[in-house]
Amino acid sequence: MFNTKLHFPNLLLLLAASITLLFSACKKDEATEQELITKVVVHLTGTGSSLFNEEFEAEDPDGDGVWNTIPSLDIPANTVFDVHIHVYDSNEEIDDEIEAESNEHLFTYKVTGANLTVGDLSTDDNGAPFGIDSRWTSAAASAGTVRIQLIHEPIDKNAADPGGEVDFEVTFPVQIQ
Amino acid sequence: MFNSKAILIGLCLLCATGPLLAQDCHLALRGHVTDADTKEALPYATVFVRETGKGAVTDENGWFAIPDLCERTPYTVEIHHVECAHFTQVVQLTENAEMEFHLVHTAILNEVVIREKAVAPPPTQAEIAVEQNDLEAAKGLNLGETLKKLPGVTLLSSGATIAKPVIQGLHSNRIAIVADGVTLQSQQWGNDHAPEIDPFTADKISVVKGAAGVRYGAGAMAGAVVLEPAPLREKDGIGGWLSLGGFSNGWGGVASGAADWHLPGRSLTFRLQGTAKRSGNLRAPDYWLGNTGASELNFSAMAGWKKGRWRHTVSVTQFGQRFGILRAAHTGSLSDLEAAISSDTPRNNLNYFSYKIDRPYQRVQHNVLKYKAEFRFNDIWKLSGQYNFQYNQRREYDRGRNNTTQGDKAQVAFQLWSNTLDLALEHLPIRHWQGGVGVQAVQQLNYVSKGGYIPDYLGWGGSVWATERWRRFPVPWEFEIGARYDFRRNHVTTTGNGNNDLDEQLTFGNVSGTLGAIYHFSNDFSAKLNTGLAWRPPHVNELFARGVHHGAGTYEQGNPDLESEKAWNSNLTLDWKTSFASAMVTVYRNSVQDFIYLNQPRDSIVLTVRGPFPAYFYQQDDAVLQGLDASVSVSFIPQLALETRASILRGYRLARRNGENSTYHDWLPLMPADRFQYGIRWTVDGRRRKVDGGRRSADGEREAEGETFVRLLATTVVRQSHIPEEGLTKAPPPAFTTLGLEAAHTFYLSSPSGDLPIEIGLNVQNLTNVRYREYLDFFRFYTDSPGVNVGLRAKVSFGH
Repeated sequence: MFNTKLHFPNLLLLLAASITLLFSACKKDEATEQELITKVVVHLTGTGSSLFNEEFEAEDPDGDGVWNTIPSLDIPANTVFDVHIHVYDSNEEIDDEIEAESNEHLFTYKVTGANLTVGDLSTDDNGAPFGIDSRWTSAAASAGTVRIQLIHEPIDKNAADPGGEVDFEVTFPVQIQ
Repeated sequence: MFNSKAILIGLCLLCATGPLLAQDCHLALRGHVTDADTKEALPYATVFVRETGKGAVTDENGWFAIPDLCERTPYTVEIHHVECAHFTQVVQLTENAEMEFHLVHTAILNEVVIREKAVAPPPTQAEIAVEQNDLEAAKGLNLGETLKKLPGVTLLSSGATIAKPVIQGLHSNRIAIVADGVTLQSQQWGNDHAPEIDPFTADKISVVKGAAGVRYGAGAMAGAVVLEPAPLREKDGIGGWLSLGGFSNGWGGVASGAADWHLPGRSLTFRLQGTAKRSGNLRAPDYWLGNTGASELNFSAMAGWKKGRWRHTVSVTQFGQRFGILRAAHTGSLSDLEAAISSDTPRNNLNYFSYKIDRPYQRVQHNVLKYKAEFRFNDIWKLSGQYNFQYNQRREYDRGRNNTTQGDKAQVAFQLWSNTLDLALEHLPIRHWQGGVGVQAVQQLNYVSKGGYIPDYLGWGGSVWATERWRRFPVPWEFEIGARYDFRRNHVTTTGNGNNDLDEQLTFGNVSGTLGAIYHFSNDFSAKLNTGLAWRPPHVNELFARGVHHGAGTYEQGNPDLESEKAWNSNLTLDWKTSFASAMVTVYRNSVQDFIYLNQPRDSIVLTVRGPFPAYFYQQDDAVLQGLDASVSVSFIPQLALETRASILRGYRLARRNGENSTYHDWLPLMPADRFQYGIRWTVDGRRRKVDGGRRSADGEREAEGETFVRLLATTVVRQSHIPEEGLTKAPPPAFTTLGLEAAHTFYLSSPSGDLPIEIGLNVQNLTNVRYREYLDFFRFYTDSPGVNVGLRAKVSFGH
């Protein structure tokens, strides 16, 4: 009943023109990129006589932004470790990307409770802290946590509150044995 | 049908003889209106019968018809036409009549009072229209700003660029936004999703407060915002307007224009309209608000034509907006949020002016295609059909790890396609009943990109409704009754938020109803009482949201077991209008069963990849919202009016403590704080223009004459002390008072084709540059609201 004939050719023109307008305005749907960090690996390598070499993986395999597994860092006492952080986006390692933008990134470490010190943060192109590599020193047996953050565009890398935004934050339980 | 002979007894009230027993009230008056000098028929003259309140508009050939008049009853027939003197005649009918009316041509346009009676009578709920001056002044801002002076309407905002209307405490999916007869189908579930409407397309904006589910469908639990465009041009030739505006805060500019073209000698009319807007960083009294620029580009085109008993309209609109989100409001984690909240000045702020819109920002697009056809069977019955297609797209561009290399890629995109078909069969009064029946079918497809916080869904809906209205002069009562049934089925699947392998069919259905009465104490004073049932199915985000809501800095989790919300809304409105004063008071109680809200149990934290976030969970409880809206205006001398408005609201839920069966009242979060406005207004010609739709004349022209006035209006908002027992992330902001100043004047520029009216206006917001924060502004966590903003506008209309 409502598909009446259009009596005016110019109306058809208008319709055609407006529909063109309508759909040309909808840009082709370029793929969105949800840059999700889905896995963070802490790789500890013992130095000196220690043969300790282990990776601890915090994972969010379903991508809902919530950690599904955070393992406990069970490490030996009185040891010095070289530590490297691997970051994965949907199981693709993106360390290179982060290192390429080291000036805009900062890894921070905050130890609570355990007898562990973190130091010797690797530096960026300007000599400011970057921290993808660091040196951890464990002392007597104890338990606690270490909070690792990747901060994006920090305002002052040397300040106690570096500002910027958190790309990931994960707090691992630490068990020094 | 009306070819019986006319019996006309002009000004002969005493001639009414005989008993009025067995009175027949189904007589029709058919008339022909002509110009007394030229003998030409006068199309689009307004005919109004004072006693019945009924009216009609003459057709192209000057004919009109008014049904349902009683026999042997004197009726005062008023006829108005823009080009002619006002004409009044008293008539009495003994049978169906046909009459000639001759109007005298006159040049005194000012004396013409134009009335427009819509086919649909006003609702029995409280209805208020935005005053024409406020509408003009706020069009350059956004839809929310145009509404916020109305009592009972407040804003839920995320900074100054995102604002959505709140009617009597409810918003988003609980109100309907209806533009040109099309209910906006967009993604209103997000608190940071503002309605995609260009206020420049509207000639009249009104708000219906109360359960409006019967009229506007499931969801209109608290009311509706109704925007009407100016009618298409009915006169041959070209007309239009151009409006330019500038704002000091954000150094923003807006340009909007429309051109109407009526093809000579045919019934075909076109309109093209467009708006462009650009603004930079806004400024609070003490600092710039970094990354709050916005740009907007909107177009619309309409066409209408008539053929015989058919009337058609086609329209397309495109709304496109890109706006920055306050940089300081972007927090990555709970520790960021805590640092931002405890800081007095915005953290990570970009404290300078710039037009640049950087991440985080959003891009929103909305398209509507509408076709409407009406078929008049006769003077009483009308069948109409309307189809509309809507496409809504939101893209959210977040800050992120590799944003510098990311180019134009959005983190999340939400897309919604909707098809809606409406059919309605409506009738003018038959034995004093006026109303109609209708059906509606809706189909919706929502697609969310990967990691998108809500799942995808495909929805189907159907509705049937019927509504009738009774009015019989001189009985002072009017009655309204209506019912509607809505059915909705959603098929929900996921593309990658936390709900892996989600595949569910959900079905909801419920009845809405309305029952209303109006009692006219006198011509100046009436009372409206309305009680209605409305409902709303839980939205997909309330059922299945799972993940980090970046815009809000929260982790939100839906509840798949939620039931539909059912509201029982009752309201009483007293409306009093005289030449020197007017008052409108509405009291309401909205009792909502299974009210859905976001709750944050104390210390509930989710360890997200970006750190611990506060976790919010959707849950439902019975809730009650009640309050009072009032507006009063008094003129002691004709030039000077004192105005005051108040909006007071209390909303609580029936909460239950763990392990207890008894309930207690706990205040609901996010309820508007009490708000009072008071002002003084000086009108130079001492005469306020009628605001009740009288602005538009029958032939679609706008009244050229604007009024000259100055108004000073203060707004005081008290501190919201009614907050949930559990407390809030940040305590409600203190009370504040802001001042606004408005002025407008119209002057005429002579041109070869006649005088061009140019309306200029001044609109200053926050005149005294007060520091304040609004309770319902999510960005109150981070910054003050913007400071002083001086707006100037000019509008020229041509081609009358």
